[in-house]
Amino acid sequence: MTILYAILWFAGIALVLGAMLALASIVFEVKVDPKIPEITEVLPGANCGGCGFAGCSACAEAIVRGDAKVTACPVGGQAVADQIASIMGVEAGSVTRMRAQVMCSGTRDNARQKYIYEGPHDCAAAMRLGGGPKECPNGCIGFGTCELLCPQDAIHVENGVAVVRAEKCIGCGICVESCPKHIIKLIPFDAPVHVGCSSLDKGALTRTYCEVGCIGCKMCTKVCESGAITVNGAIASIDYEKCTHCGKCVEKCPRKIIVFEEGKAKIEESVIEEAKVEEPINEAPDAVTPTSEEPTPAVITEKVKTEEPDTPTAPDSAENQAEETTPDSQTAENP
Amino acid sequence: MNKYVKQIKDSIVDQNPVLVQFLGMCPTLATTTSVSNAIGMGLAATAVLICSNVFISLLRKFIPKEIRIASYIVIISGFVTAVELLMKAFFTPLYDALGLYIPLIVVNCIILARAEAYASKNPVLPSAVDGLAMGLGFTAALILIASVREILGAGTWLGLRVTPAAFQPALIFILPAGAFLTLGLVSAAVNKGKDLAAAYADAHPKPEGVAVLPDEIVTEAPAAAAIESVAEAETPSEETHAPKTESAPTQQTDTVPTEDAVSAEPITPTAESAEESVKEETTNKESEETTNGTAD
Amino acid sequence: MEQLIDILLLMLSSVLVQNFIFAKFYGICPFLGVSDKPATAAGMGMAVTFVITLSSAATWAVYYYILEPFRLTFLKTIAFILIIAALVQLIEMFLKKFVPSLYQALGIYLPLITTNCAVLGSALLNIQNGYNFVYSVAVGFAAAIGFTMAILIFAGVRARLQFAQAPKSFQGMPLVLISAGLIAIAFSGFSGINF
Repeated sequence: MTILYAILWFAGIALVLGAMLALASIVFEVKVDPKIPEITEVLPGANCGGCGFAGCSACAEAIVRGDAKVTACPVGGQAVADQIASIMGVEAGSVTRMRAQVMCSGTRDNARQKYIYEGPHDCAAAMRLGGGPKECPNGCIGFGTCELLCPQDAIHVENGVAVVRAEKCIGCGICVESCPKHIIKLIPFDAPVHVGCSSLDKGALTRTYCEVGCIGCKMCTKVCESGAITVNGAIASIDYEKCTHCGKCVEKCPRKIIVFEEGKAKIEESVIEEAKVEEPINEAPDAVTPTSEEPTPAVITEKVKTEEPDTPTAPDSAENQAEETTPDSQTAENP
Repeated sequence: MNKYVKQIKDSIVDQNPVLVQFLGMCPTLATTTSVSNAIGMGLAATAVLICSNVFISLLRKFIPKEIRIASYIVIISGFVTAVELLMKAFFTPLYDALGLYIPLIVVNCIILARAEAYASKNPVLPSAVDGLAMGLGFTAALILIASVREILGAGTWLGLRVTPAAFQPALIFILPAGAFLTLGLVSAAVNKGKDLAAAYADAHPKPEGVAVLPDEIVTEAPAAAAIESVAEAETPSEETHAPKTESAPTQQTDTVPTEDAVSAEPITPTAESAEESVKEETTNKESEETTNGTAD
Repeated sequence: MEQLIDILLLMLSSVLVQNFIFAKFYGICPFLGVSDKPATAAGMGMAVTFVITLSSAATWAVYYYILEPFRLTFLKTIAFILIIAALVQLIEMFLKKFVPSLYQALGIYLPLITTNCAVLGSALLNIQNGYNFVYSVAVGFAAAIGFTMAILIFAGVRARLQFAQAPKSFQGMPLVLISAGLIAIAFSGFSGINF
């Protein structure tokens, strides 16, 4: 008898629950535009947030709603934008691939620390102690918060400063938001130059705490043909719409702080050696004696090799140049 | 037959559901206050696992995809009820000791995970063996943790006094907090053991043509070769700090997470120069690049 | 009035003394899995509270009106799990239609709760302790609040654990478990309180 009751009641409960769920699925149905799952399929699925929405399905919903353009996904690039455009039945725009660039070159060897930091190995945490251990108020703290968050493993801290491997960067912008100093910027993928410094302080002050920081001397603006590089206050910045990639600013910069990406600008080994002070900057008890006001820039011996913009490999090009440099030029002695 | 033995060995050591995959922790923490409870719980879970795996494997072609989780749960709960009633009748002290955790075997992550991942896709006999293997792995882990807790917390093992009379048991191990601490320390020990085993395998590579590497490892060969060439260029590193990436090519079981090894490969040079503070070629190369890039 | 105080004390004991996670080990899997960010922890806690409260009511009704009269109480596990699974599905559909903001917040956690020890455990515990309807719902709700509190505290601890430079074999789960153990020691301080 018990078995009969058990079977009957449980079958009954199951039927009732099943019917309730079936009814609910009809009554509580939410109409979903079929385009949304289609677009979600097409998107890369990395859920990186580079589009500004919370994940790929949220981006798809925004596109269908009209809150986002079909070119919203920076990671998917042109191919994905075209596919989304065909799903939505509109024309696709064009997408510029961007990459992240850390605007700081202050390594442990050339930038001063103001104190010895002991605490959580995290940039955001270190920021709270007077802006971090680096003396430059706009310098990379170098504890690798950006490195932890990068979904592509493209950014790493090398010798106290974060460096982005351009070929791995998908331009999602997570590192840009995570940097507490806000010194990582997104620049066009093909951009060959960037100013490797974010220091807003005047030149004399910058020199006391960093051997390579931009001093705002404006020699680059004088030489730029297209007016792409400008100095606001005491820091140079490049407008990539106007930059013609001529490299003249790179030659002229006395601090060698404008970096030419595609196979870096060639400078003799001896110049690099002389540019370094005898004692590492952080062990000097007093302020570092500033070098002369306008040190003569080293003449760059060869123009950089033009390489395919899609396949630069930074370590390789650095090695190639080190071998090919010819000791042609005269170099001025530092007084 | 060999395949099954290997499967059982894998589940106990490499893919232990508790100590490696961290599934099914509710019963692990709750029932390991004594070894006898642990054995009881482990065997009950194993019985349910085997029966439910077999049943789900038999029915796998008939269960529609949409309701599969619900139906698995119903099948598992049927077997759990049977096991519960059997224990109540024949092993009453054990039933009283385990209390509410017997019905909670229904929602044990291990059983549902194996049903979903294995039993629903494989025929009956392999599913049964898989159930047995995972169950034994679970039981082994439970016994290990219960032994630690009972010996340190009560000075006994299976009820027999094994510590000298002067030893005062630390009650904390029997309390709930002790469960967390013991599980944490035991899994740290397991991790350390795995690292040492990997370093040992690294230092004593098997002669060629011996092991049949699973497919995943074969596709890593170019990456593995790159890692090994970098490793050879450096001075030999200390065994205890062998990074996971270096040991990846020599691990032969299917425990190597392929995504980890392959994605770790490109960053091996920087990772190693950061981790190992020995002055090596790669470190010099890296700093040279950096100064080139930044001093320009 | 006495009953009210009785219920309140019982609820307080479910939160502190008999905390679901630190004393009874229900709901450990989501506790360790979902507690890495405070936002997701809050979402999980809310979802669990919602489901436990409703399922306490539903399972109590089924036990005392269907299972007991027909002496089918030995089948309570199967019955309860059926009810919980169906209830979770229903709640998900209801929220998606009528409270989409809450659905977005609780999102993926709802289906995960079906296999959560905490829900089934709470239902069985109510039966074991022989509570009436009001007590069952109140204690269930309080237990879920205790779960939420525990998971939020732990999310905060884990946010700090991220920067800890632990030895390699301790990194990840072992360190998390040991931290949970230390918090459990703190909670065991409540065990002397008798309600």
